[in-house]
Amino acid sequence: MSSATTTATDTNPAFVLRAIKDVAFENRPIPQLRDPHDVRVHIAQTGICGSDVHYWQRGRIGDFILSSPIILGHESSGTVVDVGSSVTNLKVGDRVAIEPGVPCRRCDYCRAGDYNLCNDTIFAATPPWDGTLAKYYTVASDYCYKIPDHMDMEEAAMVEPVSVAVQICKVADVRANQTIVVFGAGPIGVLSQAVAKASGAKKVIAVDISQARLDFAKSYAADETFLPPQAEQGEDPVAHSEKTAKMIKEQFGLGEGADVVLECTGAEPCIQAGINVARKGGTYVQAGMGKENVVFPITTACIRALTIKGSIRYSVGCYPNAVHLVATGKVDVKRLITNRFKFEEAEKAFELVKAAQEGVFKVVIEGVQ
Amino acid sequence: MQNPSIVLYGPGSAKLEDKPVPEIVDGHDVIVRIAFVGVCGSDVHFWNHGGIGKHVDLTAGIVMGHEASGTISSIGPAVTCVSVGDRVAIEPGVPCRFCSYCRSGSYHLCKDMRFAAAPGPPDTQGTLCKYFKVAEDFVYKVGDEMSLEETVLVEPTSVAVHAVKLADVRAGETVVVMGSGTIGLLCAAVARAFGAYRIILVDILDTKLEFAKLFLGCETFKPSTTASAEENASSLRSSLNLSSTCIDTVIEASGAAASIETGINVLRPGGKYVQTGMGKPKIEFPIGMISEKELMVRGCFRYGAGDYELAVSLLTRAIINVKPLISSTTRFEEATEAWKKTARGEGIKNLIRGVDD
Repeated sequence: MSSATTTATDTNPAFVLRAIKDVAFENRPIPQLRDPHDVRVHIAQTGICGSDVHYWQRGRIGDFILSSPIILGHESSGTVVDVGSSVTNLKVGDRVAIEPGVPCRRCDYCRAGDYNLCNDTIFAATPPWDGTLAKYYTVASDYCYKIPDHMDMEEAAMVEPVSVAVQICKVADVRANQTIVVFGAGPIGVLSQAVAKASGAKKVIAVDISQARLDFAKSYAADETFLPPQAEQGEDPVAHSEKTAKMIKEQFGLGEGADVVLECTGAEPCIQAGINVARKGGTYVQAGMGKENVVFPITTACIRALTIKGSIRYSVGCYPNAVHLVATGKVDVKRLITNRFKFEEAEKAFELVKAAQEGVFKVVIEGVQ
Repeated sequence: MQNPSIVLYGPGSAKLEDKPVPEIVDGHDVIVRIAFVGVCGSDVHFWNHGGIGKHVDLTAGIVMGHEASGTISSIGPAVTCVSVGDRVAIEPGVPCRFCSYCRSGSYHLCKDMRFAAAPGPPDTQGTLCKYFKVAEDFVYKVGDEMSLEETVLVEPTSVAVHAVKLADVRAGETVVVMGSGTIGLLCAAVARAFGAYRIILVDILDTKLEFAKLFLGCETFKPSTTASAEENASSLRSSLNLSSTCIDTVIEASGAAASIETGINVLRPGGKYVQTGMGKPKIEFPIGMISEKELMVRGCFRYGAGDYELAVSLLTRAIINVKPLISSTTRFEEATEAWKKTARGEGIKNLIRGVDD
């Protein structure tokens, strides 16, 4: 292989989820290039996602079940240290944002361009695959994107959640001059608001139950914010959601409703309110994950001829778009990082995300030096 | 000989030679024992001119053939889709899988596509041989009720599927297909399978139109070779009782300039036009009419994701019967006779039998 910058005495410390609620540092073998298209990256920064915390605490998401130890982490940036013989887009020393899910390239989904639906995707930190919270990570070179010199490694790690937001807006087919209601002002919610604005949306309204989060969303990308009133004692929850939707439409002059609803919480009352706040013929996208089954206003969806779509991870073009949005300053990701930890403090970082305090937004862990 | 192959060295010059038997290197590859190979207009062009765009290397030559059927003779260790002995249609172009086209579902536009019998560099050898290596996701099993002769027709049917999908033919449409050769006939058949209500085939040769009527039971029109495109379009509509707002879709499968112009003229405002026929690279084109009638005009190249699967299904379920299109079968050793026959305009689809045991 071409010039590698690892030495014979190099180690590969890794932050491993051994079993539910059981994490530890281990020294793992340095991952080797598996084929001529691979590159090895020295990880610089890794963001933590709700899904990482969920595997740690519950050991499963849907059909992905933790049955053997995995290295955690999937939102990462780093520097290329080794390239396979067929790699043409990267060279040793390049600074990159890593797309953590590499599909099989041969199945019907891959061939049709829907690679985020590939059943044989190797996805970092989704059981049984190892993640990026180690010194080194190998990945296919076309799933690594070179970042401009003025972008730092923290921003590059944030490209992953920005790509999720780009995919959400792509699935929603956001067009210029639309009105968009986004439920949720967490990282995915505010990034979706930012990408929607960057796509030319006329009005973006953020909805959340935390005033502090709404204040941040207003300072970030949202044009308007809405704090839903609490349900009265004994009030039917579905009726309350309908009332919430009506209030949003009236307060912001949405007329028949919003062109697009992006549901970034997974919370049942938000899902119900979201369906009710969409205009006739509008689009509703489910991005947030909560209860697997909810009470859903299906007749409203039918009568109002809604288009309802699910959004998962990211697909063609999302990562390059996300890099562009961050590089040009259209999406300011630095402002979302509230806490920083050294690699050795990884468990503390996870505990902080799990505690879900209001002042904690995006937590990042530095790579092994 | 271990792997007899038909190699083209230049215009009018081809030899039967032995080539190395291909070996499995990538775990997902399969080796196919070729049963039949079809002759395409492009083969004729290669025989007459030595290539289309890129020409055959005169010293190295190139193994010809790209429309083929066969049986799986060996499989790589990672292969799960087929087994030895399976009867298959071959999709003769394997893309790189890494570029932006491949990743976005347009693998047929891959810059590094390796298409059978296409000169490079790098050259890609064709299917007129005994053993042909290809990736497992580019072979498609066919049932026992379908002969390996018919299986060759999956390739041109895929071209037709690709064209009809790009044309977005919907149930109830009126569709005009310009050119009643193999591709035109199959485009019409696929358009019918997609629910088109009225299908009109256009050609300047009576024999082709007679065949179309028998094969498809469709309507036909013979334009005048001396009238203008506007006059021919008007004649077509009036002879078939169609107003200027009736014809939804035109699939152009001849490549002839006069036919292209007539196709644009015949469409209703807001209509759709797909160019699948290949003729002169530059022609005079009614660009003004594209604007005035707000037409959708699309190019169409080979076949892409999902096309082969649909073609196999249409043939396997006997929704399209391709047997009448097979006009002759020539022995492997006499492959050039099949090309010459096609060049003379004899037959619709002429086949070359694979190497005998």
